[in-house]
Amino acid sequence: MQRESRSMNRRLSSGANSTSSASTSPERGVDDDNDSFMHLANDSQSSLVPSVADDVSDSLAREMAERTRVSPISRLPAELMICIFQKLGSTGDLKNCMLVSKEWARNSVGLLWHRPQTGSWEALHNVVQSIRSAHQYFDYSHLVKRLNLSALGQTCSDGTLQPFASCKRIERLTLTGCSRLSDLSVAKMIDGNRSLLALDVTSIDGVTDVTMRAVATNCFRLQGLNITNCRRIKDAALEEVARSCRHLKRLKLNGCIHLTEKSVIAFATHCRQLVEIDLHDCRSVEDDAITALITEGPNLRELRLAHCLRLTDNAFLKLPNETTYDTLRILDLTDCSELTDGGVQKIIMAAPRLRNLVLAKCRNITDRAVMAITRLGKNLHYIHLGHCARITDTGVIQLVKLCNRIRYIDLACCTNLTDASVMQLATLPRLKRIGLVKCANITDRSIYALAKPKNPSGSQVAPSVLERVHLSYCVNLTLAGITKLLNNCPRLTHLSLTGVVAFLRDELLAFCREAPHGNDSKFSVNLQELTLTQSSMSNSVRFSACSRALAWVVFANISTTRPTAMASMP
Amino acid sequence: MSATQKLTLTSSDGIDIEVERKVVERSVLIRNLLEDLAETATLEPIPIPNVNEPVLKKVLEWCEHHKDDPVSMGDDDSDSRKKQTDIDEWDQKYMSVDQEMLFEIILAANYLDIKALLDVGCKTVANMIKGKSPEEIRKTFNIQNDFTPEEEEQIRRENEWAEDR
Repeated sequence: MQRESRSMNRRLSSGANSTSSASTSPERGVDDDNDSFMHLANDSQSSLVPSVADDVSDSLAREMAERTRVSPISRLPAELMICIFQKLGSTGDLKNCMLVSKEWARNSVGLLWHRPQTGSWEALHNVVQSIRSAHQYFDYSHLVKRLNLSALGQTCSDGTLQPFASCKRIERLTLTGCSRLSDLSVAKMIDGNRSLLALDVTSIDGVTDVTMRAVATNCFRLQGLNITNCRRIKDAALEEVARSCRHLKRLKLNGCIHLTEKSVIAFATHCRQLVEIDLHDCRSVEDDAITALITEGPNLRELRLAHCLRLTDNAFLKLPNETTYDTLRILDLTDCSELTDGGVQKIIMAAPRLRNLVLAKCRNITDRAVMAITRLGKNLHYIHLGHCARITDTGVIQLVKLCNRIRYIDLACCTNLTDASVMQLATLPRLKRIGLVKCANITDRSIYALAKPKNPSGSQVAPSVLERVHLSYCVNLTLAGITKLLNNCPRLTHLSLTGVVAFLRDELLAFCREAPHGNDSKFSVNLQELTLTQSSMSNSVRFSACSRALAWVVFANISTTRPTAMASMP
Repeated sequence: MSATQKLTLTSSDGIDIEVERKVVERSVLIRNLLEDLAETATLEPIPIPNVNEPVLKKVLEWCEHHKDDPVSMGDDDSDSRKKQTDIDEWDQKYMSVDQEMLFEIILAANYLDIKALLDVGCKTVANMIKGKSPEEIRKTFNIQNDFTPEEEEQIRRENEWAEDR
């Protein structure tokens, strides 16, 4: 290996002007490029100064010396030219590099065709023509490593995808939302492809067991599979996938309504490297599957079980008593409505390093579960207890005292909560997002507490780091409280106040807009945001009393190009 | 062993250069070498057979300026994937050298395994390429066009999709 790389480098550094076998010609081996995008080749420990090796004739050496004198860049070996080309952001620049010389073409073609542009029909048409052409300058189809047709969506048909069937070295195939595709083209893409690492066929109803069997027969290196909403896929085919794709790490089976614990258990037992599994809306999956995923997966980090309606406490109660699962960091149990305090207590014992915990709509749980959660201590960053209407101030106050690293908390519709909870929450030094929708008891006292600068270490006073505050339907709030909040929270980007009477005033409603779709729908109801744009600045003079506050909101909106969707917060 | 300890490097043309250990440890090649060596052995000059004196001095100038930067151990940290070509002001000035020296720096950074310097070097060259036509690129780097007009036309046609719009 070492010897080989040395001799290659000698060849490269000595001009690399042989047209046949420079290391980056399209004929490179299948295994030349793993997942990472043309990593820096750092394995060269070899000669830089063009060493005149025995096998290089004098005349060649002279020619080479002359060349590097005239054009110093020809001294750089192929691997370094590739490093440079990697820094070029645009495909246009790469294309221009291809046209410079044969050597430059060889070194840039792989980067350019790594992920051909398929965002528009015009580009796609040209890409397909080049791939199909009988006398291509390069064998482009073997250079394509990533193909993403999701921008074409519904307009993409089997006929669109079929020409790419010759690209057998694709590593990432992304067909999200290309809902008119079917097994006809997708299975053909997969047949004979031994390189595939990630497949995303989200919402393609025509992808069935046929494609899954093709995956099982071919894609032994597969690491990521997303078959969200592929409703026709059934257990048997997925069990085959589980048996042959042993390297799977990320698996999204959301909304695959036919799946039962059979296929999930197969993944748990065969795919020991599983890091992330999402079974959102897999309504037929039962407890055993979840127990198996946790006990069998030594690397499991993220387990999403929202709306797995059949889930009960037993999924966790059956975990062995002495063992802990330290890798598990994210657990989403939204709307697992059978779950009770006993199940929560057990999972906290078993997974003491949970960082994100979502128990929204687990309506049975009480302060006993919250007390169990406090055992997570500093590990807990993200907690969602929306619609857990039975919890009280006692639980929340204890939670805040013991888990002071919380950055995100949602307590929507926890109607028992009062100012006492929020005043405690306000002491959290890193709190960025707080959801209190329909916590109708809270008053301006809560808001004053949230707005107050923090001094966590006792020495330095820092302004609040709150970014998103949801207060819709907190009907007791007044303009005074909100003004205080706006004045004291420089990082605030979102504030929702739907249904708060004090804000149902025409001059303020002028600044409201509909909540963006999808963003927050999970967490708040009919959210309207007080969002001020730059153009509304001139209007703001009308509210001289709170002009500074409005300026803050304006500032917040300008500096934030796109608010973080809470759902994707780590 | 203290970081201020002095070491001696010997360039390919036989010149000894004395340098602080901390500075020279920007080079992963040398850092690993020092880790492997017994303490006494580091008193001996370390030969750097592939880099001549002017280039080695220039590289050490960069290492000196960046000696307190956080050391990145990972081989694929996220920023190497970003295709941005921003270069900080000092580095920009540092890289204002003739092409001969520029490519020597890149080769030396690669050999000595100084990732951040290699990165700056590659970005500098990338910035010289950006926005230029093939002919302008050839002129910039004095490269001969070895395509036939037919070949050039074919490549242009087959890669038309890559045109910036």
